[in-house]
Amino acid sequence: MDELKQLKKDWQKDKKFPKINKSEIYKFLHKKSSSIVKWIFIISIIEFSFWSIISFLIKDNENQQRFDEYGMEYIIWPLMITGYVVLFYFFVLFYRNYKSISTTVNSKALMEQILKTRKTVKYYVVFNLIFLYISMAIGVMIELNNNPDVLLQTSKFTESGDFYIFYGIVILITLLAMGVITVFFLIFYYLIYGILLKKLKKNYKELKAIEKQ
Amino acid sequence: MEKIDENKFVDLVDKHQNLVHKICKLYTNSIAEHKDLFQEITIQLWKAYPKFRGDSKFSTWMYRVGINTAITIYRKSKRRIRSYNFDDVSYKIPEDNPYNDQEDKQLEAIYEAVKALNDIEKAIVFLYLEDKSYREISETIGLTEVNARVKMNRIKNKLKKQLNP
Repeated sequence: MDELKQLKKDWQKDKKFPKINKSEIYKFLHKKSSSIVKWIFIISIIEFSFWSIISFLIKDNENQQRFDEYGMEYIIWPLMITGYVVLFYFFVLFYRNYKSISTTVNSKALMEQILKTRKTVKYYVVFNLIFLYISMAIGVMIELNNNPDVLLQTSKFTESGDFYIFYGIVILITLLAMGVITVFFLIFYYLIYGILLKKLKKNYKELKAIEKQ
Repeated sequence: MEKIDENKFVDLVDKHQNLVHKICKLYTNSIAEHKDLFQEITIQLWKAYPKFRGDSKFSTWMYRVGINTAITIYRKSKRRIRSYNFDDVSYKIPEDNPYNDQEDKQLEAIYEAVKALNDIEKAIVFLYLEDKSYREISETIGLTEVNARVKMNRIKNKLKKQLNP
């Protein structure tokens, strides 16, 4: 007997397959978005760990030690705690987004979840930038009032009556530094989250096109 | 234009799921791979669904998308698909099959030989096993009818040689 004919006989009788139920099929359709959102959550944790390690590494840095000696803990600590609390809140949101996207069973709810996730990431980036600006501004103020070299320069400029030039220079340098840092962070966030958000947007558009038809 | 309904799509996939399972059976070697391929085929079907115009039967369209997906995935994971484990042996042959030992062994050998064919050959065999005509096989895979017949003869000879050395 022809081998394939023999196989065909068996093949057509074979109906013993693991039944995939409808809710599993729905989940398959939404798997892609779910894995993107999972990556957003994982990357945010990695990013947080990365910055924590960096700050730990510069702890013994000379400038950092000098800064600690100013005794400004009553400003620094509340600022740091606020930052950590808000960041933790964002991680919870990212995790919740991931969990709700993985269990979403229809396109409309999934589209809403995608929009929600995109919004969360945007708020996260905005928060990080604003927090950075506030920290920088506070840092500059502390340096202006405590750094002996800066105080010397301030008194020199004040004596010569040009103190506004000094403050002008300080403000200009601070703004320039903020500009550079903003560009750096925007590129950084674009590379790590922008690409994932783009994929999510593409998914959203696909779902929307299907809904419209 | 008719509204594309996710529920209708899921119903159709559910109704014809054995077809997808059969593709998975030929292109995978373990339950985990089987599930992965099933999922990937479902995703590809969903992505292609807006273009499905209903000119052909849903099942015919499903064959085309399913086989193309299996071929693409198979090509990507060709190297790692070789691993077998104990559970996979029972996956290949149904536990309570009605055959005697010798027939079982022969069938298993044929399955193994078919699984060792290349991706296109497997697709031709799959459609043949599904009782498709050469015209349907050629349309689904994108070959000429003559080419499909020639390939099928080569496959038969190849299997004969392999199974009766």
